[in-house]
Amino acid sequence: MKRKRFWGIFLFVITAILLVGCSGETTTSEPTDTEQNSTGSEADKNLTIAIGADMVTFDIHDHNNTSTEAIHVNMFNYLFKKDENGEIHPELVEEFNIIDDLTVEMKLKEGVTFHNGDPLTSEDVKFTLERVATDDKLKEYPNYKQIKEVQIVDDLTFKVITHAPEPSLFHRLSRLGSGILPKKYIDENGWDHFLSNPVGTGPYQFKEWVRDDHITLVPYDNYYDGKVEEWEEVVFRVIPENSTRVSELLTGGVDIAVNIPPADWERVNSNEGTSIVQEVSNRVIMLILRSTEGLPTADVRVRQALDYAIDDGALVNNVLQGGAVPTTTMVGPGNFGHNPDLYETYNYDVEKAKELLAQAGYEDGFEMTLQAPRGRYLQDAEVAEMIAGMLAAINVKVNVEFLEWSNFVEMRNANENKEAYLLGLGNSMFDGAYSVDWYRAERYAGHTDYKNDQIEELLAASASNMNPEERAKQIQEISTIAAEDLPFINLYQEKINIGISDSVDFDPTPDEMLYAPSITSK
Amino acid sequence: MGKFLIRRLLQIIPVLFIISFVVFCLVFVAGDPVALMLPEDASPEDIEQLRESLGLNEPFHIQYFTYMLGLFQLDFGESFRYGQSALPIVLERLPATLELAAASMIVAIVIAIPLGIWSATKKNSPLDLLATGGSVLWKAMPNFWLGIMLILLFSVTLGWFPVSGRGNFSHLVLPALTLGTGIAAEMTRLIRSSMLEILNQDYIRTAKSKGIRDFYVVNKHAFRNALIPVVTITALQTSTVVGGTLITETVFSWPGLGQLLIQAVNTRDMAIVQASVFIIAFFVILMNLLADIIYKLLDPRIKY
Repeated sequence: MKRKRFWGIFLFVITAILLVGCSGETTTSEPTDTEQNSTGSEADKNLTIAIGADMVTFDIHDHNNTSTEAIHVNMFNYLFKKDENGEIHPELVEEFNIIDDLTVEMKLKEGVTFHNGDPLTSEDVKFTLERVATDDKLKEYPNYKQIKEVQIVDDLTFKVITHAPEPSLFHRLSRLGSGILPKKYIDENGWDHFLSNPVGTGPYQFKEWVRDDHITLVPYDNYYDGKVEEWEEVVFRVIPENSTRVSELLTGGVDIAVNIPPADWERVNSNEGTSIVQEVSNRVIMLILRSTEGLPTADVRVRQALDYAIDDGALVNNVLQGGAVPTTTMVGPGNFGHNPDLYETYNYDVEKAKELLAQAGYEDGFEMTLQAPRGRYLQDAEVAEMIAGMLAAINVKVNVEFLEWSNFVEMRNANENKEAYLLGLGNSMFDGAYSVDWYRAERYAGHTDYKNDQIEELLAASASNMNPEERAKQIQEISTIAAEDLPFINLYQEKINIGISDSVDFDPTPDEMLYAPSITSK
Repeated sequence: MGKFLIRRLLQIIPVLFIISFVVFCLVFVAGDPVALMLPEDASPEDIEQLRESLGLNEPFHIQYFTYMLGLFQLDFGESFRYGQSALPIVLERLPATLELAAASMIVAIVIAIPLGIWSATKKNSPLDLLATGGSVLWKAMPNFWLGIMLILLFSVTLGWFPVSGRGNFSHLVLPALTLGTGIAAEMTRLIRSSMLEILNQDYIRTAKSKGIRDFYVVNKHAFRNALIPVVTITALQTSTVVGGTLITETVFSWPGLGQLLIQAVNTRDMAIVQASVFIIAFFVILMNLLADIIYKLLDPRIKY
């Protein structure tokens, strides 16, 4: 009898432990009002946005994640900001003066405060920029290591000094790494406290983050540009599964859902009260070709033949259902050095492709490998398959090799790339110099083995050219040469596909930011 | 029994060490996480620099030694992705997964026990065929498909339950059904076959010939004896439930361990993978221990 009682108590204790464990989490139950009724109406001034992946961290210097920056942009201001046309304007900076090729003096706006009430000062700028420019463990370090130091002139004035002439400095200062951190708050409370209770100077302040579930922001009353009255609460809900995100949009669980796949566009558009809005992203999908001696793709005529055989229009209209724009340049609109003549156009002429192949000595075609990731980019596997089919028309037998993304990255890093691989390249700097740098011979020796002396000269000249007009022309010229010489075959620029409720007004931007002050209720 | 319990609890320690070693090796050979941390246009120098900073250039034995040193203090290291200690991040998600797992097991037991018994007592009847056939069909349905179908029917079309997220009871229904009904399908067939075996035993015939009502024969005499294999399979299902949560949590945006683990594997976040697998292994071992204890309660003749 005693033994039975012992086991009874033992089981009870185990069950109780499990039940306590199950009921331990309470923080997630609160946002359900928003989840159930996010209509964006006047009565409910909550905005709910469904995102595909959770924010990585509140350390603005330690991630390379666009979807994380898309949230941060609501909480942190940058020194400069890009407008919808890609033009860079001062944001936290009131005025600036280029002293010499290495030094820019800037003065901060007066009256800007952090969410904890501390005023924004030059000390904060020095702390922020020097942190990211010197700590090589930070993922944004490569984009800011060009900054040598920040010299404080007075409370609001400072000088940014670079190691060498840095033509892209303003591009660097208008992106995530230049979101200003509160030095005093971090010094007093420690970095870990900041990560769980972040403060910035932006229009919205942090309220709650339940990992893999939601992030909640509320308006900052003392925002220097005036409190944002449109939304009382902005909730970013993490919904990784595409179909679930779509279902939430259809049932009114969210107002905006990002990354809607083409298969669901009809479903969203035909549903009453929801629609798809699109904007060109800053990511170009391309075939990276290997120009290594001995391979057919080392011959420019073969590379051109492949380009002429691929019907980019069919890829865009059929596989992507209009979710992209054909292009022959890596530098898209809104980027510094964009050449409009190379955009919204493509080469397609099967007969010419056959002629070029014959001239190169491949009348009977050849066999090649195309490596492609699956699920990384919009319809990537389908695009690779369709390209293989198109190249079969000129007797080029393509073996498509699909790789899981991490293996794909390893293949690239180990230079195990074959004749061609499919890649999408974004450019968070919105400076064409970063795109065309892919043609630099030294950077990809053993990888693409491409070298063009004219491009090399232009790259070297533009790298330190502090004259913006000249530099833009140099980048445009590089793009023009590459469109002929084809180290890579640029296919199309992907579009951002966002599902929105009719109750909100939102125009997506190419940088894919989800800036709540730009979203309004109807 | 007390000695047995102490012995089993002590056995957990080497098992967990073996598991941690295997997981460390798997994560180590799975490849380089640094390549996944940086964007597509990162230069080889940037990749190398970050790898050096994170200590990933150290040889296997040094990395393993560092890892084990941390493990003794229950420190799995810092998550590459989150930049914070891994164990608190994993433990933060545990309640959500336990909640879903417990609810799924309740769904499974509530469906499987009556259906299994009923199916066995009405052997070969059309209803039995329906139950066994249905079980096979249900078991064959992939979790992600079933989850999406349940969302389409009960959330989008009928509007009865929320689509996703974790909150009140209504949020739990669809994920628990998705995960629980699959387990119920397997348990139903097991209970049925176990019951059929018992119902053919002599003592059951004796009980029936003594005039005891069928209800008592089945539920009091047969079912208790049929429970031993059922307890085994239920305990073993713990790992199935955890495996199922990986998919179910993703479909329903349930912020649990499964979703965290999937992301960690995709981004090769070693510390999170190691901490998650360690915690999951601990729970599976604990459930097996619990099963052994329940055996003893069900059948006092069992000696350890």
